Amino acid sequence: MTKNINYWYLGSLLISLLVALPILTVFTSFFYTTSEYYTLLKDTFLIHYILNSSIILIAVLFLTFLFGVLSAYFVSFYNFPGVNFFKWALILSFAVPAYIYAYSLTAFFENFGTLFAIITWLFGEGNYNKFIPKFDGMIGAILSMSFSLFGYVYVLTRASFYHQSNNLIEVSKNLGFSAKESFFKIILPSARPAIVAGLSLVAMECLSDFGTVSFFSVSTLTTGIYNSWLSFDDLNTANQLSFFLLLIILALFFIENYSRGGAKYHQSSQGFKQIPKIDLNGKKALIVTIFCASLFFISFIFPTLQMFYWTIKFPKYFQDANLWLLNFNTLTLVFLASLVLVSLSFLINFGNRISKSKFLDNLSLFSISGYAIPGVILAVAFITFFSWFSDFLTDLFGFISIKKIFIGSIIGLILAYFIRFYSLAFNGIKSNYLKINQSIDESSYLLGYSKFRTFRKIHFPYLKNSIFLISILIAIEIIKELPITLILRPFNFETFATKAYAYASQDLLEAAALPALFLIFWAGLLIFFTSKHILSEK
Amino acid sequence: MSINFLEIKNTTFVASKLNKVLDFNLTIKNEGDIICLLGPSGIGKTTILRSIAGLQKISKGSIALKGKILSSDKKHLEPEKRNIALSFQDNSLFPHYSILDNINFGAKRNRNSKYNFDVKELIKVLHLEGLEKKFPHQISAGEAQRVSLARSLMSKPDLLLLDEPFSNIDQSLKVELQLNIKKILKDKKITTIMVTHDSYEAFYMADYCGIILSQTMKQYDTPYNIYHYPNSIEVVNFLNRGILVDAKVIDSQSVEHKCLGTIKGNFVKKYPKGTLVKLLVQPDDLEHDDTSKLKLEIIDRKFRGTNFIYTLKTKNNDLIPVFVHSHHIHQHEVKEKFGIKTPIFIDHLVCF
Repeated sequence: MTKNINYWYLGSLLISLLVALPILTVFTSFFYTTSEYYTLLKDTFLIHYILNSSIILIAVLFLTFLFGVLSAYFVSFYNFPGVNFFKWALILSFAVPAYIYAYSLTAFFENFGTLFAIITWLFGEGNYNKFIPKFDGMIGAILSMSFSLFGYVYVLTRASFYHQSNNLIEVSKNLGFSAKESFFKIILPSARPAIVAGLSLVAMECLSDFGTVSFFSVSTLTTGIYNSWLSFDDLNTANQLSFFLLLIILALFFIENYSRGGAKYHQSSQGFKQIPKIDLNGKKALIVTIFCASLFFISFIFPTLQMFYWTIKFPKYFQDANLWLLNFNTLTLVFLASLVLVSLSFLINFGNRISKSKFLDNLSLFSISGYAIPGVILAVAFITFFSWFSDFLTDLFGFISIKKIFIGSIIGLILAYFIRFYSLAFNGIKSNYLKINQSIDESSYLLGYSKFRTFRKIHFPYLKNSIFLISILIAIEIIKELPITLILRPFNFETFATKAYAYASQDLLEAAALPALFLIFWAGLLIFFTSKHILSEK
Repeated sequence: MSINFLEIKNTTFVASKLNKVLDFNLTIKNEGDIICLLGPSGIGKTTILRSIAGLQKISKGSIALKGKILSSDKKHLEPEKRNIALSFQDNSLFPHYSILDNINFGAKRNRNSKYNFDVKELIKVLHLEGLEKKFPHQISAGEAQRVSLARSLMSKPDLLLLDEPFSNIDQSLKVELQLNIKKILKDKKITTIMVTHDSYEAFYMADYCGIILSQTMKQYDTPYNIYHYPNSIEVVNFLNRGILVDAKVIDSQSVEHKCLGTIKGNFVKKYPKGTLVKLLVQPDDLEHDDTSKLKLEIIDRKFRGTNFIYTLKTKNNDLIPVFVHSHHIHQHEVKEKFGIKTPIFIDHLVCF
């Protein structure tokens, strides 16, 4: 018994340390001596980077709030043509990462792009380029991020609206509030934590974004970090830039956790009655339907169609793309990473549960912060740490360099994904584990079942469905992930994300269409299978 | 020398800082005895059961079953190796198994047990017919409690622990279940420790009752003795069945109360003449008599179905409860005068 506990301690400790690596690395690097490049950067561009990041952040927050809360409000409280379809279809926007959206936006509006072709087809030849608006640079980045991220606000707000019991509304009516007053005094305030949680997720994703800003050549903190690593080979500067970004993001992370804590409360399980919807008709129904349809079209159908159109318009890239290998690489990687993440998280959860130690609980709480760390920072910190660690071992014991095992290898890539998505897996499993009362385990022991048999007969069968769901959610995240894969992948190893990025950064958008389309397809498929779960809980 | 079936020696049970039971001793001599532990909520009764079952460790003392040490400050046998069943107060059914599978979950254990149950029979006795294929979330709290009890019984434990087993069950069903379960436990000679805060339940079910108050076992005795010979003021207050009035011992057979006059009876403990004591007066000790000269003012009347409880006020402001049969010819209203039959005779004079 005591022996077992020691293993659990060791395991939890090791994983917590691993997940905390990037933060520790970034924070220690901050106190290292700085290079000239850093001084130059600090004096000239740093403010500029922060300013750009902030402008994008504020604009994206505003737009996602608008799109997310409005659409959640419409589908939760009104009946209009297609409401059940839109309720579900709006989450498909999760399948299109912001950088892929950026490619579509550019492909459509650029000189002699798709819009140009459509106008020409309609009205004949002409010089239309100067009349077509160009969504690039900052505007392009803001639009791309808003349409691909509003889903977070939509899903969380809708869940909060949905879980509000009609009892509350009835009570407020009984106390003399009108329907409108009930909405503003009861429903909206109690959805506030959910909205804030959704917006903080958007903010974290937005600040972590690398693909979009890099494509539109907007200089932000993330591109700054990437460039100091790639162009100047200056890990120290990269880490010092990371420090600033991390500070902002950690603040957001705490806001999110804090609000989410509050968001839990209004999920009454008993006496739950759904709020009856109001039927809309005539002009109002038309406006609401058009709003939802446009949002769905712009966020999902448009980028998918654009990528599809270019894929068939430029068939010669079919041969170049080595489609089988690309699918095999991406899917194997995703499968392996999800498997490792979910099984280890399950094991650690089980360990925490049976050892009932406060220390382990707190330790795991500490180790879940990985999700808040942008992929770029994580990847750079990962390289920094393992380079140092490898040199350290070589100096001390004369080991041959172990750098190659972790940097530019599948193992390293999976390890980095692990750090990034551990909190997603761990918390997902934990919240399901909490549904099993402790007395259920105890009953099983009392009926003569050992801890291991309790795991096999009670925990595993009970949790297997939700664990399958969690692994799919993680798979969706990994398929879309760009910067970690880009920086840490083995030489010449391509996934949909890296292939699309590689073509796009060589201005070969038409070639990027095929891998992008596959990415949307696989992510969309996985979202399709988990939509029920995403809509009900997350 | 025969070995005691269960022996708990000088054990301290700690549930939380405020919530513990100190130096607890309990010996069950005979297999098949039913013991009830009574006490207010949050006193640590559940912790005692959990520690006996092995779900919690003890830091002091020892727990031994059939002469084998289960828990001590040095040893801790894992719960799955003790063959002690505990039926939880809250729902602890396995949510992904049907009711029947839940009941049978521990059935494979102890194939060689000296007793056995027929599942169908047990389901019938506990009124669980028709629920077999349902799942735990589809049944009521009271039903879940009975399923949990059935599951515990099916595992054929050496010792059965029940934590408030009837707390969620309707009053009407409760009485029948108490009857059925007592019969099962006695027929199969299953030694049981039951925790409850309902003294009627304890008095009916138990061979012996333990009263746990302010961190210790105050009294351990048969239900009859606990009721009639409570050994401390705390026990009287906890059972909340009578009141204590000031009186003075006048000889070996009687005491004097300022308002009620001389009260005769047999002292449980001897007191020297002239001692000032607190005498326990229970509702069934005084008799109503309309013709009596001793009249007291009624300040409250409670209808209890088979009887009324009148609360009477004496001159020196004692509030005395008196039972009167429901069929008593005429009822008395509050503020009326109420006659008490004199001289008063109380079988056992319990004084402190």
